[in-house]
Amino acid sequence: MDKPSLAEQLDEALERAFSGRGKPPEFDDRLAPLLRIALRLRHLPRPQFRAGLKSDLEREALAAVGVEALPTARQTAMPYLSVENAAEAIDFYRRAFGATVEDRGKIGSAEIVIENSTIRLSDPFPDHGSLGPKALGGSPVKLHLYVADADAFVERAVAQGAKIIRPVEDQLHGDRSGQLADPFGHVWIIATRNQVVSRQEMQRRSNRILIEELEKMPGHDPIRKSFRTITPYMIAQDGPALLEFAKQAFGAEETYRGTGSAGGLHAEVRIGDSMLMIGGGFPGKEFRVTPTTTALHIYVKDTDAVYQRALKAGATSTNEPADMEYGERSAGVKDKAGNYWYIATHKGPRYVPKDLNDVQVYLHPHRADPVIKFLQRAFGGHERARYASPDGVVHHAQVQIGTSVLEMGEAHGAYQPTSTMFYLYVPDADAAYRSALAAGASSLEEPADQPWGDRVATVKDAFGNTWNIATHTGAKPA
Amino acid sequence: MASTPKASRVRADERGLLEAAQRDPAGFAALYELHFDRVYMFIVRRVGNRDVAEDLTADVFHRALANLRNFEWRDVPFEAWLLRIAANAIHDRRKRKGRELSFEDPPEMSSEPDLTEVEDGARLFRLVNRLPEDQKRVIVMRFAEHESIRAIAQRLKRSEGAVKQLQFRGLETLRTRFEPKLGQMPRKGAKQSRPKGGKNG
Repeated sequence: MDKPSLAEQLDEALERAFSGRGKPPEFDDRLAPLLRIALRLRHLPRPQFRAGLKSDLEREALAAVGVEALPTARQTAMPYLSVENAAEAIDFYRRAFGATVEDRGKIGSAEIVIENSTIRLSDPFPDHGSLGPKALGGSPVKLHLYVADADAFVERAVAQGAKIIRPVEDQLHGDRSGQLADPFGHVWIIATRNQVVSRQEMQRRSNRILIEELEKMPGHDPIRKSFRTITPYMIAQDGPALLEFAKQAFGAEETYRGTGSAGGLHAEVRIGDSMLMIGGGFPGKEFRVTPTTTALHIYVKDTDAVYQRALKAGATSTNEPADMEYGERSAGVKDKAGNYWYIATHKGPRYVPKDLNDVQVYLHPHRADPVIKFLQRAFGGHERARYASPDGVVHHAQVQIGTSVLEMGEAHGAYQPTSTMFYLYVPDADAAYRSALAAGASSLEEPADQPWGDRVATVKDAFGNTWNIATHTGAKPA
Repeated sequence: MASTPKASRVRADERGLLEAAQRDPAGFAALYELHFDRVYMFIVRRVGNRDVAEDLTADVFHRALANLRNFEWRDVPFEAWLLRIAANAIHDRRKRKGRELSFEDPPEMSSEPDLTEVEDGARLFRLVNRLPEDQKRVIVMRFAEHESIRAIAQRLKRSEGAVKQLQFRGLETLRTRFEPKLGQMPRKGAKQSRPKGGKNG
């Protein structure tokens, strides 16, 4: 066998180094210094991020010009406070807020000035409908005060008898502020202008807080443990037979077996790092659900051996094992229930290509493009790859949805459209249900909490596939 | 350590930029360009995760811009001030996330940062920008954007072999510029490592 070129060897070594799998078998020592450089480059920043942050900062800098602790007052409205015992209150505002008394009129009515603002206050006049906070049980109006130093201001006010409602803190919108109640029941927001924050920056900060809150919530994983975003749900007339086939041919490990909502079998099995759901009727019993057909691209360590086991378990051959030009040894079988299993071994450091799972669902739509568009609009799918021939036929495409990859190749010859059923985990089943309908799917079941702790909706897309859209909530229906 | 004449000239230039930015925040972009790579490298080495590193880097520069007027040259160099903000930002984040030490916080990265490492990393990032265009595109897609060879080949409409060649040449160019004193790659006769036996898996 030809030795791989230095460039090939280097790439192989990189793939391994990045996934922590050590040196490859073929490794020319001359590559070591290049590998060292490459390892440092692992942290190379994304140019888009770098440029984006710069323009954010430039916008912010522009907005920050002329920011002062006290924004210029330009209002004409003047607050008029009703206070039980105005004389005492005036004294308090003087000591606690540094107010000056501007115009002391008749007893219990005055204008005070705090910083650059004038506030009028008087005793209540119940006969004229003017009541103070004590009579009203609080005040619905808060006074927002910009001061040069919110911390010092609040400290002094508290020393004079004010009570803190919310301590002084940096706020998302760029102010530093807190709230306090004076002894007479009026509430004051005391703020200092820290910086002017752009709308984008405010959004960024609030998103980050939201994400951190979500991360802190216990058990808030919308995907049930050991599942991925996409799980194929294969339904056969004879459920137990299909389950048995998956076990014998692919070494599927049964993790759950019970009765499904339609009264048939519901089983869950693991193959490598992926889960499959298998359902269907029992032989000799009537079963109301229409069977599905599914094509799976399944990576195994030894294609030839698995192919032989599949034939022995009753499958028929569609392709004998062969080396493919795209770096896989692959074979194909069709099981008795009509499902296609594309068996493959990747020729690389691992039997599964990087970024793929052991099992991928494979679709054969007449046209790939509308399916990809549907997946993008309905479920936020992201097109990872598309290989088309010059006449526009898409031979292979990959769409990433969450933690799974869905593969497809346009229908030709024996490869005809399937009626696949998916169990799809999303962060918000209700929202995904709505976007699936907006993208052209039709509703089979509206979102509802299910006894197994998932909230599930079911839709059918325009291409004959059924989607159980689920969010794992852990909640049981009432 | 006494600073070399060159170092002090750099300092003086930077001081000019800084004072300009303190008078008019619009000048902050120049400081950003000067320090981005170091701050990013400092953070990413400690947190090990790109998304977190980007978030914290943005945070550091926003904080720096907001507090620029409070910076006084005589206390510490500007870079040290930025790295202190960065260290605080990392600390704050860990505190907010509670005691859970996730994979995002591998132990070897929590140790005190090696500033030479940070400086070297930043220098290497700058060298990437000076690569020939085709090498630079491959290196950026592969290392900054974490694209696969296959995806890069598709985007650039080149064969995968050609992309691997460009990756190889790009790394070669970087190495010769990054380690200029070490000379060329050893030629023929270099010892080969033995193939390790066994199929994997």
